[in-house]
Amino acid sequence: MGGPLAGIPPAVTEETREFWAAAAEGRLVAERCAACGAESFPPRGACRACRGRQTASCPVTGAGVVYSLTVNYQRWLPGLAVPFCLVVVEFPRHPGVRVVGRLRGCAPEEAFIGMAVEVGFEPGPGGFAVPSFVAAT
Amino acid sequence: MTADRLEQRVVISGVGQSAIGRQVDRSGFQLTLDAIGAAVTDAGLTMDDIDGLSMFPGGGTASLPGYASGNLYEVQDALRVTTTWRQGVVEGMSLPFYGAAMAVATGQARHAVVWRTVKEGSAARQAGGRPAYGSTKPAAEGPLAWLLPVGMLSPVVQVAPYAARYMHSYGVTRAQLAWIPVTQRAWAALNPDAVYTKPLSVPEYLAGRMISTPISLYDCDVPCDGSTALVVSAVETAADLRAPVRVAAVAGVVDGRPSWEQWQDMGRVGYATAAALWNRTSLRPRDVDVAQLYDGFTIEAVWWLEALGFCGTGEAGDFVAGGTRIGPGGSLPLNTWGGQLSGGRLHAAFGHTAEAVRQLRGEAGARQVPGASVAAVTNAGGYEAGAALLTAW
Repeated sequence: MGGPLAGIPPAVTEETREFWAAAAEGRLVAERCAACGAESFPPRGACRACRGRQTASCPVTGAGVVYSLTVNYQRWLPGLAVPFCLVVVEFPRHPGVRVVGRLRGCAPEEAFIGMAVEVGFEPGPGGFAVPSFVAAT
Repeated sequence: MTADRLEQRVVISGVGQSAIGRQVDRSGFQLTLDAIGAAVTDAGLTMDDIDGLSMFPGGGTASLPGYASGNLYEVQDALRVTTTWRQGVVEGMSLPFYGAAMAVATGQARHAVVWRTVKEGSAARQAGGRPAYGSTKPAAEGPLAWLLPVGMLSPVVQVAPYAARYMHSYGVTRAQLAWIPVTQRAWAALNPDAVYTKPLSVPEYLAGRMISTPISLYDCDVPCDGSTALVVSAVETAADLRAPVRVAAVAGVVDGRPSWEQWQDMGRVGYATAAALWNRTSLRPRDVDVAQLYDGFTIEAVWWLEALGFCGTGEAGDFVAGGTRIGPGGSLPLNTWGGQLSGGRLHAAFGHTAEAVRQLRGEAGARQVPGASVAAVTNAGGYEAGAALLTAW
C-alpha cells in the first residue's frame, strides 16, 4: 500500500464542489432541501423528494450499513493495488443517501451485506480525498 | 391490416454484419460499410432506397477505447445516399431500432439503416487488457464522478454489486448461474461467426478467474471488433422486401434512479420496461419461442428472464439449471448465437436483434429453433432498458 489510490479523478462542478471540499476535511456531506428537509445524494442542487431548488450541504453522520459490495481483483489501471473491496453504503439516519467507497479495517473477503461501517476517506487520484469506509468494530 | 401500435407500422427488413472477431484488421469505418452493404442487400433493397441513418453511439462519444466508431455524416457521404432522417444516440436508445421505428412509423423515412460498430477487441489488445472505463477522459464526469475515483473502474465492477445483492437476496449460487454462460457456449458452437466456440463446462466456469466478485471472466462479454447493421422499413413496402420480420411491441422505461450505484433494488431490474412491453401486446411470455436477452454480464440475462416473467423473481437459478430449458431443444432457447458472452460484445443488443431476425426467418442454420415465430429481444437493464417482441411475417 502507501501513496494515493490509483483511479480517475472527479470533474468538480458547481453541484459537487462542496462535497469534495468537505471530503478533503474528512467530512461526508449530502444536500438537504430547505423546503421539505429531505436529503439527496449525489448533490444536484435539486431536491429528489419535492423538486425544491433551495438546498444546502448537510453532514452525513452515524453508522452506515453495507447494501451491497464487490471485491475487485482486476488491475484496471497501472499501479492499482488489488484486491480491494468496494461497498455501497446506506445510512439508517439519512434515508435517500447512498454512497460508494472503498472499505478498510478488514480483509476484503470478510466484508458482507448488512455489515456496519463508519465514514472515512483516504487519499485518491488527483489529490482528492475519496470515500473509504471503515469496518465498525 | 391496421396497426394499433406505432411500432407495428414497421418491419425489420435487413440484417448485415461485417467480419467479427477478437481482432479484425480493418478500420471501424470499413466494418461499418461492410455491415450496411450486407444489411441493405439482405433486405432486398438497394442503397438508393435508404433515406434514414442512425448510429449508436452518435458523435464519436466513448468512455472506453474502441467503443465508438466514426461519424454519421462520413458514413452517409461514403454510401452516397440522401437522407430525410438522421440520428446519433447516446441516451435514450432503448433498443437499436427504437428511434428508426418511430421515424419510419411517422413517415420521416421509409427505409432506415441503424448500425453499431465496435473495435473494443483491438483496443483491449493495445491496452494489454480490458481498459478502465473512463480512461479516454482525464476526469470522471456526471454519474461516473462518484464511481471512478474510488476504483469502480469498469462496468464489471459497477454491475458486480447487483449480482452480489441478487444472490444474497434469493440464495442463488454461481454454480446455478454458470449454466447461462455454459449453455450459451454450446449455442455458440453452432454459430460460425461466434468469437468463442470451444465447449465450456460448469467446473471450468467455477475455476474461472475472478474479476470482481461474484463476476468472473466467463460472466463478462467478450470485447471484439465488428459491425452490425439493421434495416427498418415501412410495413407497406413489404412486397419489395426479401424477408421482413414484424415488430409486435417495443418498450423502454427508465424509472427509479438512472445511475448504477443509486438503483434502489439491485435484485430486481427491468421490471418497468417488461410491464410496459406486455401492456402493448396480447402476446404472453408462454408465446415466446426464442429469447435474445442482453448479456453484457450473466446477471443481466438473469434480470430479463425474471422481469419478463419467464420465471419468477429469484427463480432464475432453478430455471437455467442444467441448461435444459435454455439450451438446444429447450422450451426457451436463450441467446442462440452465443450471446455477447461467447458470440462477442457487439453491444447494445445489435447482435441479439440480428439473431432474432434470423431465427424468425428460419435462416439461423444449425442453431435454428424449429418453427420460431415469436422472439423476445432486450437491451441493457439497469438505468437504460429496452425490450421488444418480434414476430415472423
